[in-house]
Amino acid sequence: MRKLILLLIFCLSLNQASAQLLDNLRLGLESNMAWYNDDKRTGAFFDEENNDGDEHVRVNSYLKLDYDFLKNFTATVQIESYEPLALLNYSPNFEGTNFGIYSLNYKSNKLEASAGHYYEQFGSGMILRNWEDRQLGLNNALLGGRMKYMPLDFLALTALYGKQRVGFETADSDIFGFNTELDLSNIFNFENSSLNLGFSYVGRNETADSEDPNFDDLTNAFSGRIDFTEGNFYANAEYVTKTDDVAVIAGQLIDNFVNPGNALLLNTGFSQKGFGIDATFRRLENMGFYSEREKTGNVFLENNINFTPALTKQHDYLLTNIFVYQAQSQVVFADPQLMEAGEIGGQVDLFYNIKKGTSLGGKYGTKLAFNASYWAGLKGDYDYNNLSYDVDYFGFGEKYFSDISLEIRKKWNKKVNSIFYYVNQYYNQRTIEDNFSGEQIKTNIVVGETIYKFGRIGQSVRLEFQKLWSNSDNHDWIGGTFEYNVSPRLSFYVNDIYNSGMDSSTSENHYYNFGGSYNKGTTRFSLNYGRQRAGLVCVGGVCRFVPEATGLSASLLMSF
Amino acid sequence: MKRTFLLILLFTISLSYAQDIPNVILKNLENESVSIQKLANSNDIKIFSFWATWCVPCINELDAIADVYEEWQDETNVELIAISTDDARTKKRVIPLVNGKDWEYQILIDDNQDLKRALNINVLPYIMVVKNGEIVHTRTGYTPGSEDELYEVVKENAKL
Repeated sequence: MRKLILLLIFCLSLNQASAQLLDNLRLGLESNMAWYNDDKRTGAFFDEENNDGDEHVRVNSYLKLDYDFLKNFTATVQIESYEPLALLNYSPNFEGTNFGIYSLNYKSNKLEASAGHYYEQFGSGMILRNWEDRQLGLNNALLGGRMKYMPLDFLALTALYGKQRVGFETADSDIFGFNTELDLSNIFNFENSSLNLGFSYVGRNETADSEDPNFDDLTNAFSGRIDFTEGNFYANAEYVTKTDDVAVIAGQLIDNFVNPGNALLLNTGFSQKGFGIDATFRRLENMGFYSEREKTGNVFLENNINFTPALTKQHDYLLTNIFVYQAQSQVVFADPQLMEAGEIGGQVDLFYNIKKGTSLGGKYGTKLAFNASYWAGLKGDYDYNNLSYDVDYFGFGEKYFSDISLEIRKKWNKKVNSIFYYVNQYYNQRTIEDNFSGEQIKTNIVVGETIYKFGRIGQSVRLEFQKLWSNSDNHDWIGGTFEYNVSPRLSFYVNDIYNSGMDSSTSENHYYNFGGSYNKGTTRFSLNYGRQRAGLVCVGGVCRFVPEATGLSASLLMSF
Repeated sequence: MKRTFLLILLFTISLSYAQDIPNVILKNLENESVSIQKLANSNDIKIFSFWATWCVPCINELDAIADVYEEWQDETNVELIAISTDDARTKKRVIPLVNGKDWEYQILIDDNQDLKRALNINVLPYIMVVKNGEIVHTRTGYTPGSEDELYEVVKENAKL
């Protein structure tokens, strides 16, 4: 409280100071409100995480201040408020109002130093990534200190120590990290190509509760990376290895089930004007890495040290996001029929621009995007009774997921644009959701979208039609969206999806939403009413489950 | 705590000063470091567009501008810098997508969202027009035709 008053006085005194000083202040405000209603079809409102049915109105707010001073310094404070309780399915650790983030940073050409909270990523994040996503209720910043030093043009070093943020507290462990980036092309003066190397170390020190555990308090992870680019061609590889780590099944440490982990990521691509191709392969084995072992696989995405997102295309339409793959990085021994040690697979992307003036390209050209991905379990021998597994390095086991999609974008004339989207998916519900009675679902989804511009600048309508067919009696979905953009500032929309299949939780419910948004500069206000389908909300590669809910929501974003 | 928070909220809303460009360094597609402050400190107008490969309105906007970009550059010398906020999941798609779509923009990679966070950007797409290190216009979201309004802003400031 005293800190807050001090901060307020600090801000107010700034207000009195010259405009010059205020030029150095950046402010960001985000406020998300929900008013949950009882729903005749889907039942009364109830929040299972907080065991509460009374607090129908909830607001999550974030106020962030960054102040640049003395040329090289920046101070950052983020205050967060979850009142009276956090929005549905946020971690109960986000409770009340408090400082979420505070830090002091120094930055010069060669040296960077941070004290307080910071966000770091080594390589692609397979060994370490700290980031924030408010929609997902995720903030796993480290609280401690970090130094980055660039002694030479081609060399960058990072050393860090911290405790990971969990809610408004920190995890009960210490994280150590070290990273080196080496730019060889700078040393050898390559003209048209670049070659970069990277090495990282991340250690987690968590004291075990049990007396004589079969694993060490300190778990070490090492990673090596190589990145090569020559003209239109590029290729890169990353390998991570993690020392012996205990398996966690249903939140319990299994002391006699200890294994090392590793991850391999290979990526290559080629592109030129109007054409691009990219291919990725990844294999993960026992790569769950958490700042508290027993939080392994938790649904709130708390305590994540590393980042192993599903490498599939992230779709953007409602019906294409019903069956979403999530990376299977962990050891799961749920039952003799359901055992996993990781995943193996890959994806390919193709982009092609059919030229203007050709018969298929028309007057404006036609843009194509194709993606295919395939993911499977690790092939090998799994022994449920003795708690052990022996997996092949390049063997593909049971199929988990596949996805093939094609997007065609076509501009017909100055006023009309269309997008056509087709997706074919295979979703192994049993293994992806660790659900014993899960089905093998195959779907075909088509989406058609047309935008028509008319009248004054910024006025348009957008129409979207979606249909999902599946081999399962439970899922047969249809959906649509209508959007009216009055101007670049103001728009309204209405959408609905409906399942005529027999799935007990969604059958014959309309999941409708309508609302509008107003933008001006950096301010955005939106208002929405509707029924939200239970399912995954995915943002930038990570998905989190949200429950079914009906009600009014509003959101305000501002920055100065 | 709650009341103080509200107070600060009110105080925030009462503020309306232009924000400055943070001192952030990003990598381009050739893995070279690019200083955002240096880039912004130009007499020519720079449009910073924050996007991601998975954001449909972002792609719509950059596609729409691509159709008229040559014209814009000839008339006003404006430059568009498309800042990809894709993280490790989708970052690999940036180069083939940009080339496949034949975009002529300067592309920068903000894969752990350092710049996005420093500018308090919460929603994509986000457009920021800068001249001589000063932010002269910002917009959140994209609706078809907004690029025409954006160009009006560019032309106005190019004359100054």
